[in-house]
Amino acid sequence: MDTSSMTKQELKEYQKQLKREEAMRKIRAQEKTPFLTRLRYKYLTWYFAKKAAWAIFRFVLLVGISYVILFPYIAKIFGSFMSRDDFTDVMVKLIARHPTLDTYRAIITDNHYFKAMFNTALLSVLCGITQTLICTIVGYGFAKFKFKFKNILFIGVIFTMIVPHETIQLSMFMQFRYFDIWGIYGAIAKLFGSSEATPAMANLLNTYWPWVILSFTGLAFKNGLFIYFMRQYFNGVPDELEEAAYVDGAGVIRTFIKIIIPMALPMMITVFMFAFSWQWSDRFYTSLFFTNTKTLLMPDIVKIPSSLDTEYAAQATYEIAIRNTCGLMILIPLVVIYLFAQRTLIEGVERSGITG
Amino acid sequence: MNKVKTAKTAASKPKAEPKPKKEKHTSLDTQKSRMGWLFVSPFLVGFVLLYLPMIVDSIGYSFSELNSVVGGGFERVFVGFENYSYALFKDPQYLSLLGQSVGSLLFNVPAIVIFSLFMAILLNQKMRGRAVFRAIFFIPVIVSTGIIEYIDTGNKAYLDNLEQMSGGDTASVSSSGSSSTASNTGDQIISMVDVRILFGGMAIGGSLVGRVLALVNNVYQIINKSGVQMLIFLSGLQSISPAIYESCYIDGASSWETFWKITFPMISPMILVNAVYTVIDSFTSQSNSLMRYISNIYSQSGGRVRATAMSWMYFLVVIIVLVIVAAIIRAYVFYQRRDT
Repeated sequence: MDTSSMTKQELKEYQKQLKREEAMRKIRAQEKTPFLTRLRYKYLTWYFAKKAAWAIFRFVLLVGISYVILFPYIAKIFGSFMSRDDFTDVMVKLIARHPTLDTYRAIITDNHYFKAMFNTALLSVLCGITQTLICTIVGYGFAKFKFKFKNILFIGVIFTMIVPHETIQLSMFMQFRYFDIWGIYGAIAKLFGSSEATPAMANLLNTYWPWVILSFTGLAFKNGLFIYFMRQYFNGVPDELEEAAYVDGAGVIRTFIKIIIPMALPMMITVFMFAFSWQWSDRFYTSLFFTNTKTLLMPDIVKIPSSLDTEYAAQATYEIAIRNTCGLMILIPLVVIYLFAQRTLIEGVERSGITG
Repeated sequence: MNKVKTAKTAASKPKAEPKPKKEKHTSLDTQKSRMGWLFVSPFLVGFVLLYLPMIVDSIGYSFSELNSVVGGGFERVFVGFENYSYALFKDPQYLSLLGQSVGSLLFNVPAIVIFSLFMAILLNQKMRGRAVFRAIFFIPVIVSTGIIEYIDTGNKAYLDNLEQMSGGDTASVSSSGSSSTASNTGDQIISMVDVRILFGGMAIGGSLVGRVLALVNNVYQIINKSGVQMLIFLSGLQSISPAIYESCYIDGASSWETFWKITFPMISPMILVNAVYTVIDSFTSQSNSLMRYISNIYSQSGGRVRATAMSWMYFLVVIIVLVIVAAIIRAYVFYQRRDT
């Protein structure tokens, strides 16, 4: 191009364009760096090596710990398929030589598995729902309202959390065997000449009443912890939310039902999972309140089925395997529910914003 | 505030018969405190009518003897400190078990708290398969309680009596790898002998080495027990604002520094909560040997009150330990001030 015929303005533009083209060529040249060189600059750096090493270490560690967690269950699962002869066989480590379903069959038929499951499911679902609701309500009360003695009452919640059950085992038994409130009924009955040493309103053992009462009053297993969880969760909820509802004309209860509960649902599912599964596999309360075995619950099926003959060389291991199989069968429904709910469970706690 | 009040009172009783406005002198605060009482009333009722009597009875029982009476019922005979003195001076195992459980607590609580913090930080990082790992790590929370724990401890007691086992089926971790040796109870992840040799040259007390070994061998227990703590730590980690990490990164802090200067102080309230929770959990759990002993005594004696006396003393120890632990950690806890 002839530069001499251009005006000053045009010349300037032309030079600019040249510069731009030069820059573009440089960039393109950069892009044309050989593939291997690019790889080298990307991956053969200290930064990347550190990152990769950490990722590998983390992965191995997590897999290892997962193995430690899962192995007992895997071993139990394999053990549950073993027949009697497999336990004397030295060669058998995990995989049975004579796999059998006899153990499962015997537990289902002899130990009345499904009956126990139905009873336990009924009890656990009821307990789980009531405990979740009650703990949500109580936790909300502790988090969002100011009233006298609130702190003292909350110390009460902590107190129920830290007193071991064994401490009040006997008196809990007595409380529900001779159900009474502060002994008032007994005193009145004695005034009217009752012949019994301890007159009581009712004998609530071997019924579901103890669970109903304990659940509705937020005193059941670990409910103090649930109340604490819910309180922390509601503490993190901004007050403006409710104030907006109040301004819009909703009462406290309506706000709670329409706004708070839907919002707290993930956390409530978490609490429900805890309550449900801890009730499901609970042994302490079931053995305390059910003195006879008329109502079959899950702990009752942990025994050696009568149709399995265990008396031979490896009796001990065989019986352990049977008991483990009982445990596995107790867990099956729990695991199924966990698989569905685990995402909500973990996210619920994550979002709870629990702080000291 | 005034606006809120009028709106609320108007809405809360829309259908009630029109009352003279004079009665509505209750301020918003009073109303709210009344609602507060309403909300906590289930717990209040239960606590006053059910829990306190049980506690009072329990203390009363521990000082007395229960005799069943013909015609139904029972009567209490006051015996003073007899149950307590029995547990302290005559019972062959109580004191040693008490010392043992407090001792193991001193090692287990830090182990569980540190482990769960470490795991929570790992599981909080972005990586492939995080959801799967999380699901696996929280299995013990759901699964390993009550009856399962009972079966497992029963199995362990079984196995301890057993010289040798066959089959790959035990409740313990390592039976697959090392059960070929005859004397192995299947409980040990690493062999004691190896570590003894390793530590032999060092000037560490033998008992400490033993403790460390017990800790390593209890790794399964520790993992099993740190589920809830992990959840609590995870929730704490989530609540730290990413902006803080970002500014740290821009200022050139390494991830090690970031952990000690940012993560650790921000998570320290959670460490307090978890330490307290771990103490409570390990004191009240069924796998605690003293708890098992107490419930054994309870079931053997047909509800004799000795077990109650024992567990009250135990509870006192729990409280003392709790107070000490809380006081120590509280001194180092950092509370972030939020201006929300």
